[in-house]
Amino acid sequence: MKIDATQPLEYGTEENRNRIFGFWLFLGAEIALFATLFTVYIVLANRFASGPSGAEIFEITPVLLETFLLLTSSFTIGLAVHAMRLGLKKQMMMFMIITLLLGAGFLGIEIFEFFTYVHEGVTLSTSAFSSSLFTLLGTHGAHVTFGLLWGTAILIQIKKHGLDHSTANKSFIFSLYWHFLDVVWIFIFSFVYLKGLM
Amino acid sequence: MIKQLFPIKHVAGYISSLVLSAVALVVLLDMPAASKMAILFVTAILQASVQLMLFMHVGESDNKKSIYINIAYALFVGLVTIFGTLFIFVWGWYS
Repeated sequence: MKIDATQPLEYGTEENRNRIFGFWLFLGAEIALFATLFTVYIVLANRFASGPSGAEIFEITPVLLETFLLLTSSFTIGLAVHAMRLGLKKQMMMFMIITLLLGAGFLGIEIFEFFTYVHEGVTLSTSAFSSSLFTLLGTHGAHVTFGLLWGTAILIQIKKHGLDHSTANKSFIFSLYWHFLDVVWIFIFSFVYLKGLM
Repeated sequence: MIKQLFPIKHVAGYISSLVLSAVALVVLLDMPAASKMAILFVTAILQASVQLMLFMHVGESDNKKSIYINIAYALFVGLVTIFGTLFIFVWGWYS
């Protein structure tokens, strides 16, 4: 294994660099995936049949809270990568744990939101609007859920093996994923919630 | 230690993303619909750029050109999907 010591750990070997590049290709596919889901939602947003419309069920407070939690978690995972590059394993793990807790908080509010919607009579099969809404939000939420499991698995590996080429690479790729989910949420916040409420 | 763990660039990026989210809230006030959409587009795209450039370190790898091309292509596909569909199903160009 050829190691390039001038690069940060996560870029240290050719395999590492290829993995990071490969993950960017995956994120490109994710952009296309979410673009199709946004398309369906935008086209069907006003087709709420006999059910309630977006303006009737959206509430700004929980959405702002979700946005705040996710933005902060994106900040803390950035700090985790920064601490990792300084070789500070303990601090890096701390930031990562905070990130996952914030992510779990986000997910909790989102699940509570879904619960409220269903309670108000908006289910997956109520209308074209509700189907596309739940599909878009649910796909994002499923990504966050997967991220929580993935991040936890990486944390365990760092605890066991310390920061080496392999774990640093995984952590960096996880940070890319997490930032990407934050970007998707910003678009949901703007073009689903704010647009629905305005 | 605090200074070392919280680099100014990250803190600035975090604060600007919070500010941009707050700015987007003005669309809930009374103003023309066109300006509202313009505000949402600008704040969302700026926020995405903050994440991409600052936090995702897109500019620092040695194959950044390939990454930029890949993301540009993905955005192209996404935008054509969204606006092409709006063009046909919502704006009704055929009528």
